[in-house]
Amino acid sequence: MVSLFYKTGKFIRSPVLHMLIFLMLGSIAHVFANENPLADTTPLSTKKQALIYLEKNKELAASTFWPNVPPVFFLQNLKKNIDNPLSIYEGISTNFCGYAAFSYLPLHDDPLGYLTFMIQLYRNGKAIYGKEYFEPSKEVKLAAGTLSFKGELDIRPADQLWFLALADHFKGYLNFFDKQYHTGDENKLWACVNFAKFNRMVRNLFNYQVSAIGSDLFRPGIRDMYEYLANKLQTGTVALLVNNVELFKRNHNRLKVGIPSHFIILLDVEEVNDKIAITYWDYGFKSRQLLSASFLGKIIFGITTAVKKTTHAQ
Amino acid sequence: MPNKSAKLGLIVYCSVLLWSCTSMKKFSSNYFYENEQTLTTIEQSYKKLYQDNQFSVAFTDRTFNNISFEIITDSIKLIYEFEVTETRLQDTLVKYKFPVKEVTGLIMQMRAVKCIWINNLDYYSNQQKRSLVYMSFRPVTFRLPFNNEKYYTLTFYAQPQYFDSEGRLFATRQLRKHRKINDEIFRRINDRVCYTVSERFR
Repeated sequence: MVSLFYKTGKFIRSPVLHMLIFLMLGSIAHVFANENPLADTTPLSTKKQALIYLEKNKELAASTFWPNVPPVFFLQNLKKNIDNPLSIYEGISTNFCGYAAFSYLPLHDDPLGYLTFMIQLYRNGKAIYGKEYFEPSKEVKLAAGTLSFKGELDIRPADQLWFLALADHFKGYLNFFDKQYHTGDENKLWACVNFAKFNRMVRNLFNYQVSAIGSDLFRPGIRDMYEYLANKLQTGTVALLVNNVELFKRNHNRLKVGIPSHFIILLDVEEVNDKIAITYWDYGFKSRQLLSASFLGKIIFGITTAVKKTTHAQ
Repeated sequence: MPNKSAKLGLIVYCSVLLWSCTSMKKFSSNYFYENEQTLTTIEQSYKKLYQDNQFSVAFTDRTFNNISFEIITDSIKLIYEFEVTETRLQDTLVKYKFPVKEVTGLIMQMRAVKCIWINNLDYYSNQQKRSLVYMSFRPVTFRLPFNNEKYYTLTFYAQPQYFDSEGRLFATRQLRKHRKINDEIFRRINDRVCYTVSERFR
């Protein structure tokens, strides 16, 4: 039903209708939530289930919607992501880091859900994931599979499709001046992810219990960063919004602007003498780095914790 | 009178801007030839060392006293920070079975030519994985306040490359499209070496 309204365009144009549907859906969701307590849980599946599903779809025909994504390479890429979820790679110089970081969640917790969505989107040019209906623009459909000079992303057409579809669908204030995809926009504001948008994507697509602290401009006032991160890691998956430039460039510049620009997944945190060792995922790889507590506090702007909603929790 | 001084200020500002641009261009075209032997030695020794142990090196400060040393294993990248003269650096190199003399020699050579970053970068050409050696330098030129730092970057390829009539790097011989690395177009120094000036150093 939601897709019908999106298709007609009336959903967006009429604020009254918008409000009515919102109230209607809200009440339906409320009824379902009361009748079926299982409805509000995080969808989970295993790698084995995902691989069986992939095997069933091995004869996938070429899609007319994605003319530059050959099915063989598409399926190969999906299999790589299921076999090695850490290998998903945002590409050199793109602004896809937010989408890559948040892909960590479905690839680890619900690979079947991810695969089902990807194959439906490939086959039909549209699909529903969680609470969101996706029907990427024509420009995005033509661009997927053609991105080049991005390192390994060049040969990962399914990842190109995934990132482009996400960037095309979710909009935050950083995308305000560049909402329509044009060639090369993967490196520009069109693809940017702000902190609130990141959290919204996690909530709406994968239905986690999301708690977030921090912002795009101001650091969270956490007194003991090590203790905070260590506690959060025990409850769920932790994503960090960091000032990447500061992390790499350190003291090259006299004048430094403290703005975060990069999302990473925190995998481990450990106290080593007077420093903190963080193990994190980004760019398709795990890294471990020793940092002082003050420096760590300086580079972290946002901390998102995604906790699985289970029946037990309810 | 204030109008006159405003005009004068504008002229001075434009002159300085123009001077800084030409100075950067000159730096780019001459730098490789002035330091060709050292740069080629650094590239060759890095390539040789990288075959046995994958790593990259970055100088993290303006004084070239501190480095970030990244060791890439099969499963994880370990990022260490050292002062170049620290014994902890040598201990770590021993621990991960690096040839200590060769690696410290490379770091000192990098320091001598003000190379702030060296790594091996993978790229794809006709769906085939290839790699190049990527080196960045911080040019010591005049910089206007509030202007971003510019880096002089060299890329060393294993095979001869193809260029257009203006010396800009092509993706392949068949594909007459400019290859971008780190979103920058590179220009020819010789068949195997290209340069660009960029705000990114890695």
